[in-house]
Amino acid sequence: MNATKGYHSGLVDLSKGLISREIFVNEEIYAQEQERVFARSWLFVGHESQVPNPGDFFASRMGEESVILCRDRAGTVHVFLNSCRHRGMKVCRYDDGNTTVFTCPYHGWSYGTDGKLAGVPFFREAYHSEIDRTKLGLVEVAQLCCYKGTVWANWDASAPPFLEHLGDFARFLDLILDGWDGREGQAELLGGVQKWIIPCNWKWPAENFSGDTYHNISHRSVDLVGAGPSGRSRRDYSELNVARKLHVAIPDRGHQTITYVLPKDHEPQAAYQNSPEVAEYFRHCEEERRRRPGANSRLMGAPGEIFPNVALLPRQPRTLAVWHPVNAHQTEVWRFFFVDRDAPRAVKNFLRDYYIRYSGPAGMTEQDDMENWNYAHSASRGVIARRYPYTYEMGMGHAVEDYEFEGLRMPGRVVDLTKAQASEEPMRNLYRRWAQFMEADSWDDLMTWRRDGARREAAE
Amino acid sequence: MSGIVNVRDLKVGTRVVLGSGAEVEIVSNPRDGVWIFARYLAEGAEAGEEEMIFAQDVVEVRS
Repeated sequence: MNATKGYHSGLVDLSKGLISREIFVNEEIYAQEQERVFARSWLFVGHESQVPNPGDFFASRMGEESVILCRDRAGTVHVFLNSCRHRGMKVCRYDDGNTTVFTCPYHGWSYGTDGKLAGVPFFREAYHSEIDRTKLGLVEVAQLCCYKGTVWANWDASAPPFLEHLGDFARFLDLILDGWDGREGQAELLGGVQKWIIPCNWKWPAENFSGDTYHNISHRSVDLVGAGPSGRSRRDYSELNVARKLHVAIPDRGHQTITYVLPKDHEPQAAYQNSPEVAEYFRHCEEERRRRPGANSRLMGAPGEIFPNVALLPRQPRTLAVWHPVNAHQTEVWRFFFVDRDAPRAVKNFLRDYYIRYSGPAGMTEQDDMENWNYAHSASRGVIARRYPYTYEMGMGHAVEDYEFEGLRMPGRVVDLTKAQASEEPMRNLYRRWAQFMEADSWDDLMTWRRDGARREAAE
Repeated sequence: MSGIVNVRDLKVGTRVVLGSGAEVEIVSNPRDGVWIFARYLAEGAEAGEEEMIFAQDVVEVRS
């Protein structure tokens, strides 16, 4: 399973479960990451509900790059590099809005919402009509995919299509994007996007959301306060008492999550008891979900991570978070909150309050997390600290394949946490894939599943 | 006042004169203060054509 050469003389040594602090604090490694990971990975850009009308735009990010998500006059969704082809100035300096053109404020070059260069000042006089405007449009991503409303993009034309990259992990993302009652693609964005900067490397939150159940002690004070939607603990999770708690890791993709599998014929539990109307809405949805065929009717979502930098929290609060790298020592966090599109207004308002109470820079739980990441990062930068690798040995050798619980089979490698409580299989999975990206010269080397599939076919 | 035309708030239908002496009518305005979309009015090779007009080319507001 250790399909990596160890990345630069053992910085990521999965045979021993040791990972050097250098990969978090070394600025040269960070610079290499931008080329090797972010310039060729599928990255989350936004949600189609942010650009519903022709001319709508949302200024987003892909790694360190500023990009524009927009819908052109014909209704097609695009993602462009937010940088003028003349001198590189940002052509869009608003967070979002509607426009007919993106005009560079520096020298006045202007681009349509389809990215084409539309206006060049003094084109006839100064350029003597001699530059080819058709070759100087905004730089567009090589690949774009709209999946159940979410928009993903990739700078690398040789990368596999998004759904192939997602692989068997799609069902866990679906837990956010489908309706709570199980209907397909019912999620909409709730309010704006929370954005803030934290003083740590982007891999800290990525690792945490990969499935770190070991740090629950950090949130003890929130549990005691009872910030959850029924006034108890942080979340309504009474199903945990009967569910199987799992770590699921997809080795050849680098995605991983915690998930809970309910027993067959499980009845909905009381939840959201701070509001009778909200409680009734979710009781109805849970019943509907159980009536629908499909594996997800028995799955309860929990924190997970889509490689490299998108975290999902499908159940409570229902969010996607993006860990945008700023430099080796800073990360800009963007958190998108979701609700069922046709949920009653009272439900949306209730969830807005709960989400803010839980997540984001003012959220009680996220504040705990940031304290951990920020101080762990700063305490790992010194020359002495860097000599001592972190240990990721927990649960090594205890993952299984073909896991099944009462007829429901899980993909990938699974650790049953129901008794164990925690493992570091998800983190090892994340860093294994990270090391593969840092070592591989092309996507041909990274698409191991295609190679393995071809071998199987040849053998047959 | 500077005498410089602020194109940002010019409404559709407004006629303006360009540095070349040509008269155009605004057909849309993205309100970025840099460009307007306009149609040439006077007879000649460009008559009836629509084009993006750079703010620095606008020298006078006619109506």
